[in-house]
Amino acid sequence: MSGGRHLVFLRTAWVLAILTALYLPIVSVVLASLANTRYMRFPHRVWTLDAYRDAMASYTTWTIHIISLKIALVVVLVAVVLGTLGAMAYARYQWKGRSLFQRALVLPIFFPQPVLGLALLLSFSAVGIAPSWQTAIVAHLVWIVPIVTLVISIRLFGYDPAQEEAAFDLGASRWQVAREVTLPVLWPGIFSGALFAFLLSWSNLPLSAYTSGADTPLPVWLFTRTATNYSPLVPAVAVIGTVVSALIVLALVLLRRLAAR
Amino acid sequence: MTSPSADTTPRPAALTLTGLTRVFDTLRAVDGVSVDIAEGEFFTIVGPSGSGKSTLVRLLAGLDRPTSGSLHLRGRDITQVPANRRPTAMVFQSLALFDHRSVGQNIEFAMKMKGVPPARRRERALELLSLVRLPESYYDRPVTQCSGGERQRIAVARALASEPEILFFDEPLSALDYRLRKTLEVELKELHQRTGSTFIYITHSLEEAMIMSDRIAIMRDGKFVQIGTPAEIYARPMNRFVAGFMGEVNILPVEGGLFTDLDQPAPGAAGAYGVLRPEALQLDGAGAVGFEAEVAQRLMLGSRTQYHLTRGETKFIAEVPGGAPVLELGSRARFSFDPAAIAWVDD
Amino acid sequence: MRKPGVLFALPLIVFLLAVFALPMLIVAWYSLMPGRTFSLTAQPSLDNYRAILSAGYERPLMWSLIGATLTVAICAVLAWPTAKILHHHAGRWAVVVTALIALPIFISESVRMFGLYMFMMPGGGILAGTLNEVFGIRIGSLLNTRVGALLGMIYIHFPFMLFPTLLGVAMIPADRVDVARDLGAGGWAVFREVELPLAMPGLLIGGLLTFVLCIGANAEAAILGGRAVTVITAAIESRFNYAQDWPMGAALTMLMIAATALIVFPVLRRIDLNRIIRR
Repeated sequence: MSGGRHLVFLRTAWVLAILTALYLPIVSVVLASLANTRYMRFPHRVWTLDAYRDAMASYTTWTIHIISLKIALVVVLVAVVLGTLGAMAYARYQWKGRSLFQRALVLPIFFPQPVLGLALLLSFSAVGIAPSWQTAIVAHLVWIVPIVTLVISIRLFGYDPAQEEAAFDLGASRWQVAREVTLPVLWPGIFSGALFAFLLSWSNLPLSAYTSGADTPLPVWLFTRTATNYSPLVPAVAVIGTVVSALIVLALVLLRRLAAR
Repeated sequence: MTSPSADTTPRPAALTLTGLTRVFDTLRAVDGVSVDIAEGEFFTIVGPSGSGKSTLVRLLAGLDRPTSGSLHLRGRDITQVPANRRPTAMVFQSLALFDHRSVGQNIEFAMKMKGVPPARRRERALELLSLVRLPESYYDRPVTQCSGGERQRIAVARALASEPEILFFDEPLSALDYRLRKTLEVELKELHQRTGSTFIYITHSLEEAMIMSDRIAIMRDGKFVQIGTPAEIYARPMNRFVAGFMGEVNILPVEGGLFTDLDQPAPGAAGAYGVLRPEALQLDGAGAVGFEAEVAQRLMLGSRTQYHLTRGETKFIAEVPGGAPVLELGSRARFSFDPAAIAWVDD
Repeated sequence: MRKPGVLFALPLIVFLLAVFALPMLIVAWYSLMPGRTFSLTAQPSLDNYRAILSAGYERPLMWSLIGATLTVAICAVLAWPTAKILHHHAGRWAVVVTALIALPIFISESVRMFGLYMFMMPGGGILAGTLNEVFGIRIGSLLNTRVGALLGMIYIHFPFMLFPTLLGVAMIPADRVDVARDLGAGGWAVFREVELPLAMPGLLIGGLLTFVLCIGANAEAAILGGRAVTVITAAIESRFNYAQDWPMGAALTMLMIAATALIVFPVLRRIDLNRIIRR
């Protein structure tokens, strides 16, 4: 059968095609940023990093990053706290109503975000709250808290709760049991959950678009500048924003590695 | 309830249970259990699943509160004292080792809770490692990398490290394979002899209990049916339930002084049933009561041979030494027994 | 003894009630209010819903639903072979490739769409410009077309279809396929009778997630479809902003929620999340 080598070639080609398709648009962003003309003309006559210099010097760049960061940080904190509590209810204890709770928790994930954003916008306005970066936080949390809960819950499957009883039997107080047994088991999930929450919040578009009001986080700014008012500054800011979020995540991962030594 | 123990000098009571009861909704899982457990005793509670033995040991350890009754440790009432303040420690059925920690960290846990400094903790942990026959090099090893038998020993060492006055064992060997179980049974017995602590052990296997215990309590439906030394339980069971717990026995109903299944007089009958152990049936016809039966099945058990016999509607089980002449299937043979070997029970 | 499970669940229950259930109720109430007003205390009525039936909202709704279905179908067709290759044939590359496919999920949708826009732009766009420069070919543009919007949706959501499908494929025990072959089943039969049913939970979750994420499809449609496409969420938004008709917008939102619920609930009921996570 001559199928063998052909198949390997086909398979590799397929995977490479998929990867190329996935990354071409992303590479396009970088390519678009390397110009200095106010209209997009590829290939560029002049390849330059001017757009980045302008972006770094721009006050707007600074503002939108700060707003995204403010939102993301609060989202991470709240999501991690609520997620840990939720994970304990989701996976650690048996209680009446747990399966209903488990299904209800997952609902916000399977919900169209623009519709959710609109519903929240309407509700905020109905109670007299103007949309701002704070309402965006709430919007993000609606769908991020369930995700973080699930991520942390995974650590509890296969967990023997008798460990907590054993610790108690050996003289630990309830608080010590939590600190010595339960939290160390949960911690890797909490850390991953925090990273997820950060990235999902930083990159979110539909929810922010409707609920951030006058404050513009990065994705919303990018969205409004995509089809109109073009300049190479826009993709430059996009690249900077993506790199910043990657650096933050990397820094946290490295910190954790160091702390574990 | 308590059989008189003729061969042990009375020791002071370490743990006194008085009418201990635990009710869940309508289920009386533990129903009025009372016993004095002596200092340094190896006391085993044996019972089938659902007998309440795990519930009972959790009450003793303080992981659960009794509905009524009391518990005294050397005269001090500890009924309401929670587990983390009782000077006791338990080896759990699932072992409940801290999977995210090393062997040393597991063993040192109780000491860490008491605030013992790290150097002293390490010293004691290494002592305990050698007590349970594990190499010192295991100190830093993650417990997830240890085998079943090793995890057992770590669980015991961890419990011992809390310097308990009483040590509880909740069916710790039930998940292990036969050889490992046999090895650990002996080791636990030796550990008991070396430390001299009071051990309270739960199991569903009477055989296991016989090997290790000073006294055994048979439990059924939340109550203690019989308490006694292994020899007493074996030779003088109180009823058919206790007698049958060890394995197969021959039950001979007696009516009007006659063995109804054998149509023969029952000399010295003292109850409604006579319990006869398989090994009491002999092939040589020397016993006073004898009968003929057909060999239905033959099982070679190594040091002895087990025969399943039928006599009309009745079935018997006999065990003879391995060296005795082998009986063919379907052949008829004469068995006899000495009436003194019978344990008489009423139900 | 206190019930710890309930205590731990309480903060989350309060949270979900306040920020998820309550807004839905508010929107529902708003949808019953008279159109073009901001009042919340008027007499409730179903006027808005009647108006929807007579006005021309079917087209945007249909586009949303059809677009989402097409996206799910195409993503599924693309994801299945990819998942099989990664699971069975990739060996040590599996982890790297999977990570590479996962990475774009964490890059903002806005960035990826911007890139797609730059790529598809006619004239000076990345694709058009390169083809022109290197090969002298001039091509039209997929921007401002339905196909363009669809391409955008497929591009953004492919990873969301892939990962649950990967999970589903991983759930097929290898020996089942061997047994089927042994009993005489050919390739298509093996797929239909063995692989598809066993991988179904993963496929359902992936399909559901992708469908729900697409059904808003607001951004892709706006940017890449332009005037050729109006999705339902855009229609809702215009009710809020241009027409200042919040009750009508609310009614349309309720319609969307109902459509979503109709799809989500039956499928979720069939899947036991516990079982899947445990694998």
